Amino acid sequence: METLGFLMEGFAVALTPYNLMFALLGAFAGTLIGCMPGLGPANGVAILIPLAFTLGLPPETAMILLTSVYAGAMYGGRISSILLNIPGDEPAMMTCLDGYPMARKGRAADALAISAIASFSGGLIGTVGLIMLAPVLAKFALSFGPAEYFALFLLAFATLGGITGKNPMKTVIAATLGIMISTVGIDISTGTQRYTFGVLELYEGIDFILAIVGLFAISELLFFVESRMGHGREKVSVGKLTLSFRELVTTIPTQLRGGVLGFISGVLPGAGASLGSFISYTLEKQVLGKKGKFGEGDIRGVVAPEAGNNGASSGALVPMLTLGVPGSGTTAVLLAMLISLNITPGPLMFTQNADIVWGVIAALLIGNVLLLLLNIPLVGVFVRLLSVPPMYLLPIVTMVAFVGIYSISNSTFDLYFMVAFGVAGYFLRKLEIPVVPIILGLLLGPEMEKNLGHALVLSDGDWSILWASTLAKSFWLVAGLSLALPYLVGPLLRRRMNAAMKESPVSD
Amino acid sequence: MTGFGDRILGLGLMVLAVAYGWVAQQWPEPFGGAETVGPETFPTILAVVLVAGGIYLMIKPDPDAQWPLGKSALELVVSLLVLVVYAMLLEPLGFVISTTLAVGALSWRMGANPRSAFVTGLISAVVVFVLFNYGLSLNLPAGLLEVH
Repeated sequence: METLGFLMEGFAVALTPYNLMFALLGAFAGTLIGCMPGLGPANGVAILIPLAFTLGLPPETAMILLTSVYAGAMYGGRISSILLNIPGDEPAMMTCLDGYPMARKGRAADALAISAIASFSGGLIGTVGLIMLAPVLAKFALSFGPAEYFALFLLAFATLGGITGKNPMKTVIAATLGIMISTVGIDISTGTQRYTFGVLELYEGIDFILAIVGLFAISELLFFVESRMGHGREKVSVGKLTLSFRELVTTIPTQLRGGVLGFISGVLPGAGASLGSFISYTLEKQVLGKKGKFGEGDIRGVVAPEAGNNGASSGALVPMLTLGVPGSGTTAVLLAMLISLNITPGPLMFTQNADIVWGVIAALLIGNVLLLLLNIPLVGVFVRLLSVPPMYLLPIVTMVAFVGIYSISNSTFDLYFMVAFGVAGYFLRKLEIPVVPIILGLLLGPEMEKNLGHALVLSDGDWSILWASTLAKSFWLVAGLSLALPYLVGPLLRRRMNAAMKESPVSD
Repeated sequence: MTGFGDRILGLGLMVLAVAYGWVAQQWPEPFGGAETVGPETFPTILAVVLVAGGIYLMIKPDPDAQWPLGKSALELVVSLLVLVVYAMLLEPLGFVISTTLAVGALSWRMGANPRSAFVTGLISAVVVFVLFNYGLSLNLPAGLLEVH
């Protein structure tokens, strides 16, 4: 009941016309970004972060804007999957399997409509789950000591590659590089200058906004230049909506199962939205067996992964909001925003910044409704935008990133830094070093060092305190397992995901 | 040789880790004597982890990625130059002119015909400038177009 009261207060925050306007703006921009092939939620949020800063938005408004972009991008991902058979990002991959065949059969409008509805119910289920689970987890997390936190951060890094990740060692390397970057600047506890080499701009450390925009947006541009897929896409006709009410009703169980499964895989560290949409699709295939025509344009084959990935996107906010440990790339970027707003994410946030937490949660609910309302009538607009060739679009996106970064500090020094991060991002991604752990390392590094310091002060320098408690032990254990699992089950899971893609008759 | 990229990366990481760790050992002991956790403790741990990672990559490298060669490598360098020059010219030339040139050049190099590329650049530059300067009242450099 207490929760309900907080939620009401959250609505009071989110429903002010000012915040509502930004939620709408974010939802629209997010859908746009999500439906562009190659641009996913992480890029979208990364590009808009500098903007949120330069606008000087109050913290709750900035967070509402960015979470709406996040939810919107998850919605938008399905549009290019269905119409072009090109997933905008990884979680949207499974939607291609039945979405594109539906579009080919002339049922694109139906696929778009039902996927919007499934996204809505997935998002709604996920958000309800978030409302129920987050306060409980936050309370539990209050009992964590510094040693537990240290172990928890390790766990976050270890699981970041996900069990489908290719080479866990590369995740470790990426996280270490990120933490190393975070040690640049003046050490808070002793005042020692670390790795500044006397450069004044480095005294306060390297701003992670630069790193984020460089690693995500600039490196994306470079990848695009290299691949040069730069020509406009043929316009796809959407056709008439023929979806019947009965058909809609028959998909309800699928929506529920997909949303719940998605939420669970979103909460679990390392699983994330890709796995969410994959397991909801596979489960649906197994539940329906021969009754379904999966891979040939079965409507439930569109519903399941969409409900799954939107459920997962809300689920991924649970560890981010309660523990300060993001489970995915986009939530890592959102965490960066919180830290820059001088808000320490974690269990205390629920008491110290209740208005922000609950405002964001309420905004997610409102955002889902807005997105549904936006997506059904405006789908034509988004479809038309899909035919804008990326060779015009990407330079403009890059320019917006430049403007955003420049407006924060009015210094061109930052721009060079951002470009340097872009180049580094290009090389690292080429070598399959994931960039998300770098960002996370950059973000969590200082907290990790602080907790290590506190733990060792408490134990008088006895390092075994780091794995003394049962809780800390289990974190270490799960972290170890997460690094080992990709070697054991990763190849199998990846094979099955690829096999599912190949089974589809039109995945060419 | 396969895994060349990863081996070089592994070597690079080890060099970086050793340099990083070595620098950490040079810091003066903080005032008040040696604590359990000094400024060098955490960086030292990181250096050790990274050395281990580098060794691992050299022993077990992944298959090589496709690296751009010839023309596409040149295009990459050109795009990078455009970005750097854009950052250099932003203040002296002003936002509108430098953005028109940068967006135009990038679109053009990505395959748009030069005219529509630079027109896109100009339109997007003007729209963003108006939006930022008047809509959001953030000052973007006007540069040459400054009205005195």
